[in-house]
Amino acid sequence: MADLFVNGIILGSIITLGAIGVTLIADILNFFNFAHGDMFSFGAYMTLFFLGIFPNWGTFPGLTFGPAMIVAALLAMGITAAFALFFDRILFKPLRERGASSLFLALSALGVAFIFRSIIRLVWGPQVQYYSRALQMAKRFPMGITIKPDEFFIVGAAFFLVLVVYLFLKRTKMGKAMRAASDNETLARVTGIDTEKVVIWTWIIAVSLTAAAGILYGIEVQLRPIMGWNILIPIFVAVIVGGVGNLWGALVGGMIIGVAQELLTGVLQNMFNAMNVDVLMSAYKPAVAFVLMIIVLLVRPEGIFGTGE
Amino acid sequence: MLSYLISYVIMASTYGVAALALNIQWGFTGLMNFGIGAFYIIGAYTSAILTTPQSAEYVGGFGLPFIVGLIGAAAVSAFVAYLLAFPALRLKGGFFAISMLVISETIRIIVKNEGWLTNGVWGIRGIPKPVRAIVGSDISEYIYLAIALVLLGGVYWLVERGVRSPWGRVLSAIKEDSDTAAMSGKDVWHYKMQSMVFGAAVMGVAGSLYAHYTGFISPESFTPLMATFIVWLMILLGGTGNNKGVVLGAFVVWGVWIGSEFLIDFLPSAMVTKAGFVRMLLMGILLDAILLLRPQGLFGKEKEISTIGD
Repeated sequence: MADLFVNGIILGSIITLGAIGVTLIADILNFFNFAHGDMFSFGAYMTLFFLGIFPNWGTFPGLTFGPAMIVAALLAMGITAAFALFFDRILFKPLRERGASSLFLALSALGVAFIFRSIIRLVWGPQVQYYSRALQMAKRFPMGITIKPDEFFIVGAAFFLVLVVYLFLKRTKMGKAMRAASDNETLARVTGIDTEKVVIWTWIIAVSLTAAAGILYGIEVQLRPIMGWNILIPIFVAVIVGGVGNLWGALVGGMIIGVAQELLTGVLQNMFNAMNVDVLMSAYKPAVAFVLMIIVLLVRPEGIFGTGE
Repeated sequence: MLSYLISYVIMASTYGVAALALNIQWGFTGLMNFGIGAFYIIGAYTSAILTTPQSAEYVGGFGLPFIVGLIGAAAVSAFVAYLLAFPALRLKGGFFAISMLVISETIRIIVKNEGWLTNGVWGIRGIPKPVRAIVGSDISEYIYLAIALVLLGGVYWLVERGVRSPWGRVLSAIKEDSDTAAMSGKDVWHYKMQSMVFGAAVMGVAGSLYAHYTGFISPESFTPLMATFIVWLMILLGGTGNNKGVVLGAFVVWGVWIGSEFLIDFLPSAMVTKAGFVRMLLMGILLDAILLLRPQGLFGKEKEISTIGD
């Protein structure tokens, strides 16, 4: 039980990073970014590319990766964000200026998702890949909890990034402009805020976060071209559970969905095993997301932190 | 060559049926269904289970005739859509799209994992083609071609009738402005429900047509690309809200898809394994190009109401 909970927190911190981006884009650019999951994968694969060309700089004590990973990750985050800005310039911006509806933008994002995914498959192939094949001994804690050193890093890095984004939105001028634009875009524009700049920063933050999430997922699990599309569902559900446009909503929603997926499937699996029923519950993680989404939408459609505007 | 052509027309007609179904939901009612695959797969499996001979691997088969499979596919898809409509239709716009995506992925997982029901990843083979046992495989191809075209024509007629009726005008009103429709005393929720269920039933028919044509289905036949995305591409290319347009869109997109398969023969062998991904890339670029350059599609929206007062 406790171990499943911890696994849920690890998964949840990865989902949170994705959810923050989706919620920012939904709030400021006013559409659901269906390409977010494939940008997640792209970040992970770009990191694999850089790791391949960097010399071996050794590993951090106890971890399966070293300084090369940090440099590769930062470069990959930047490049993924640059790709997103490119798509904004050639696709989303013209649509925005034409006054396209949010559904139209979501549909065009779906096209971008397929473009990213096919590029990943063309360049890196469909097979499963790993950053490192080194096996790690999990540390044992009371109550049957086991945590690998990498996993401490994953949760730590995720919370560090959430804190950075929080401080950015709270303290910097651009952060304030972003919050103003999310509250009321027209008002923001007439008060002299450069809304195009706000859009650019929204993409940079949202996409570099999801790229980071993809990299952390790659460290924890493995790399597959479909991984981002699969995690898109829990990311969206986290946003809906937390309430669109709310940073803390993304964090709480991400944790809830992460923990619920691990706990529910794990507990049910144990139950079915005890009953000698042959099912593979871990395959049903997206179904847990589905059930959670329905419950939230029925009980509190605006989400936990939503204002219901 | 002729057999290629027959195969092309049958598959394009199948997709034409699915595109008409999406046109009801999105083109005329504004329901952004990103989960076409859900009803497509339900239709295909229902029909397969109803018509295949008794099997030890999965539930049934019941060995029933094709027509029972077809009707069953429509009925089960419609019923599932009816149940899902209760939570899903409470959602608007993008939220509805997300929930449909989640639903379709969940259903695909169920099909993949519940082997007792669907034979899991191994899929169902030996799905019979109507009258093949009597007339042999050559003639049954022609008969199947006729069946596909008749179904496409029938669905086209039905959808045209529907959208030009008072019922269809309410759907259009809901699409344009659901609040105004509600204020005019229209029960928006029920109309959306009917549109969703009608569309899903037609998607089920498309799934059944597909299953009986290929004779073999597995969860891999229903990827988001082949079951959902490509149908969106068809209706956007043809012209959302235009029934002739979306059928043409189905034939054009399927033609491009099949045509690019011929090109693979000319590729160096090292590239062949990756050719499928090039096609996927092309489909993504095509979708965004249409949205950007010709959002109304080839045909644009046709007026489905009288032109009085125009």
